[in-house]
Amino acid sequence: MTEPETTLEGWTPEPGPDLPLERIIDLAFDYRGDTTVVLTDGTELPGYVFNRNADAGEPFIQMFDADGAGPRAIPYSRIRTIRFTGRDPAAGNSYALWRRRKETGGAGRDERGRGQG
Amino acid sequence: MSVPAAQMWTVAAYVLRQKLRGRRRYPLVLMLEPLFRCNLACAGCGKIQYPAQILRKQLSVEQCLRAVEECGAPIVSIPGGEPLMYPEIGRLVEELVRRGKYVYLCTNAIQLREKLEAGLFTPSRHLSFSVHLDGRRAEHDESVCREGVYDQAVEGIREALRRGFRVTTNTTLFEGASPLRMREFFDEMMDLGVEGMMLSPGYSYSKAPDQEHFLRKTRTNDLFARMLSKPKRRWRFNQSPLFLRFLMGKHDYECTPWGNPTFNLFGWQRPCYLLQEGYAESFQDLMETTRWERYGRKSGNAKCRDCMVHCGFEATAVNETFGSWRGFVETVGVTLTGRF
Repeated sequence: MTEPETTLEGWTPEPGPDLPLERIIDLAFDYRGDTTVVLTDGTELPGYVFNRNADAGEPFIQMFDADGAGPRAIPYSRIRTIRFTGRDPAAGNSYALWRRRKETGGAGRDERGRGQG
Repeated sequence: MSVPAAQMWTVAAYVLRQKLRGRRRYPLVLMLEPLFRCNLACAGCGKIQYPAQILRKQLSVEQCLRAVEECGAPIVSIPGGEPLMYPEIGRLVEELVRRGKYVYLCTNAIQLREKLEAGLFTPSRHLSFSVHLDGRRAEHDESVCREGVYDQAVEGIREALRRGFRVTTNTTLFEGASPLRMREFFDEMMDLGVEGMMLSPGYSYSKAPDQEHFLRKTRTNDLFARMLSKPKRRWRFNQSPLFLRFLMGKHDYECTPWGNPTFNLFGWQRPCYLLQEGYAESFQDLMETTRWERYGRKSGNAKCRDCMVHCGFEATAVNETFGSWRGFVETVGVTLTGRF
């Protein structure tokens, strides 16, 4: 059986003793949708976090803006939190859906997203 | 074995040069991903799930060539995404061939015929279309979640062969694959006239939609042992025979994650083609600052435990061939007898 699907889509975490900022950053790095990086000065930066380096002298993330501009690097020290605001393209049971459609005779052209922008 | 002698010699000379220089870690195949866009959405693929603005982006040819120079590997594999959707694929391939690289253009071949008819490519011993086919018609269409793709790929293969191109196939095997059907598939590909076939078990990408059908180690050994026992003389494989023996359970290799370094829109991917644990800005940075001891079976890393994928272990097998008399003799033996 397929595990129940879990996604962080829509999550708005607040860092605290049980949820350190570093953990939120790791989850944002692993997330395949857009997020909104909230800076300590209140600025909000929507976009895709594609890298994080916690081993660097000054740990940082790298992201592309929501319009694809970038990349820009942001030190951990400037980040207050990250919200999981964009759709998670890795979530979903598209394979199961495809199988179900096929089994019920509805197979044919696959109408799922094909990774094209 | 079906790797052309000139290509084999280039790889052998390169490996021996690295050994003479005392380089402990060196790349063998650069995995160059100029884009993530694809015209398929296969169940076992974890490469294309990105927001639209990322899928619209692509590397420039100049960025690609800089990465090729930085890396220095003799072979460049161009996966993706679907590389035939890269608008500058013709120029990129031309530049790589001009630099003497052996190029494997990994494609689902849906657009292959169209691109060939448009005159985008010129036949060269340095260029091979590596067409993704996961088995016979039913298995492949199931694997790519769309019917009719097998027929399109075969049509593309025929056209490429007719025009004098090198064509190989690359096949990823998942749980439930039938050894008998795969043997029929090998016959089918040989009948088509492809130069050779490449096989690999799938990797359990955490982002892939289908998580149920990835092979575990013992199942992989069992499947490959049954599939490749008593191989027909006419079957040709475009990969290291020692790697195939490893898949059959006859060797217990450790992963060489730096063997197939990956460059894409985000930079140099740590630590390998399959795992995404961060990106380095330069190839040197990748090689020098990646904590390699965290990866591979011996590391105890759960993500590496069941992995037997070509991008980690084929480099190990090639190193075994050129790094020890035993490996060399074994490789020659398999090549001459055709027995795995």
